[in-house]
Amino acid sequence: MEITKEMVERTATALKLEDITKRKVLTTPWQPKVQYAWDDGPAIGRYLAELKNGRIIARTCRKCRRIMIPPRMFCELCWRPSDDWTFVKDTGVVNTFVISHVDWKAGRLDIKGGERPLTPAVIEIDGASAGMGILHMLDEVDPWQIKIGMKVQAVWKPQAERQGAITDIRYFKPLAPERKRGK
Amino acid sequence: MALAERIHRTIDATHWRGEIPLNYIYTPGRAGEQFLRALLDEETFLGARCAACGVTYVPARIFCERCFARIEDSFVKLGKRGTVHAFTVSHETFDGVRKEEPSIVALIKLDGADGVVLHRLGDVDPGDVRVGLPVEAVFKPKKDRQGSILDVRHFRPAKG
Repeated sequence: MEITKEMVERTATALKLEDITKRKVLTTPWQPKVQYAWDDGPAIGRYLAELKNGRIIARTCRKCRRIMIPPRMFCELCWRPSDDWTFVKDTGVVNTFVISHVDWKAGRLDIKGGERPLTPAVIEIDGASAGMGILHMLDEVDPWQIKIGMKVQAVWKPQAERQGAITDIRYFKPLAPERKRGK
Repeated sequence: MALAERIHRTIDATHWRGEIPLNYIYTPGRAGEQFLRALLDEETFLGARCAACGVTYVPARIFCERCFARIEDSFVKLGKRGTVHAFTVSHETFDGVRKEEPSIVALIKLDGADGVVLHRLGDVDPGDVRVGLPVEAVFKPKKDRQGSILDVRHFRPAKG
């Protein structure tokens, strides 16, 4: 296991990293195996299963007539169970986005060295009610050309690689016609 | 409302599996370091004495719990002998599986100390263990010791 300077310097007794790496102090290392299984429930369970099939499924409420994505078994506005399953498209519109120079581990990306900024976005899915969307990544687009309202489409993993996860969609890319310049 | 999903066996629920990586390094601290090194190098338990309170703590510690005096300079070697203060004969593992041979865990009151240490008893029939039984620590060979309480393999009835 890799011991970092930060880990050591957080301890109450002032130890230096080399006190541990050079075994100047006694240590007891332990790596507990922590496993969990999250019950994804009927709504997200079906949603993930359909992603594996290459489709996006939503849930409707007959009272407020919303088509909800991600699907949920309970309409939080009407305070009643939702009613029906319905498939929506795998295209959508950028609702909001970020150009991030920081990666998942809070490390700085080497933008000058050629790394592409990460561009997570909330995407309103076509076929669902206005404002209902999912968080995903944008790619195959110059980060600085991304606009709110831009039409995008899902880029799926090949069927054999899909496992019933949100990452079965690799990312969203601009919908083909919108990519032409001068439009 | 009716339940949206009726599951009788938890294994039937659709689920998402994950692992949480946890890395842990325990450093025993100033007193603990000396306590473990005494086991490692000298085959003795190290205590700390507060003269004002007349109390000897084991394992050694920096402060007296009663008067908060600093007792870091009053460490004492307690040797490796003591008596059984309390014990349990365990017939099951941590997972509740029946063991072939029972194991014995005991609180050992070391000679000259006011506290106890928790350890295993060995080289003894469970039926022969009793409170007050004189015992001594059995150390692993020097080359196998790592500066851990497990450098003591177990306690056994004291000879002589």
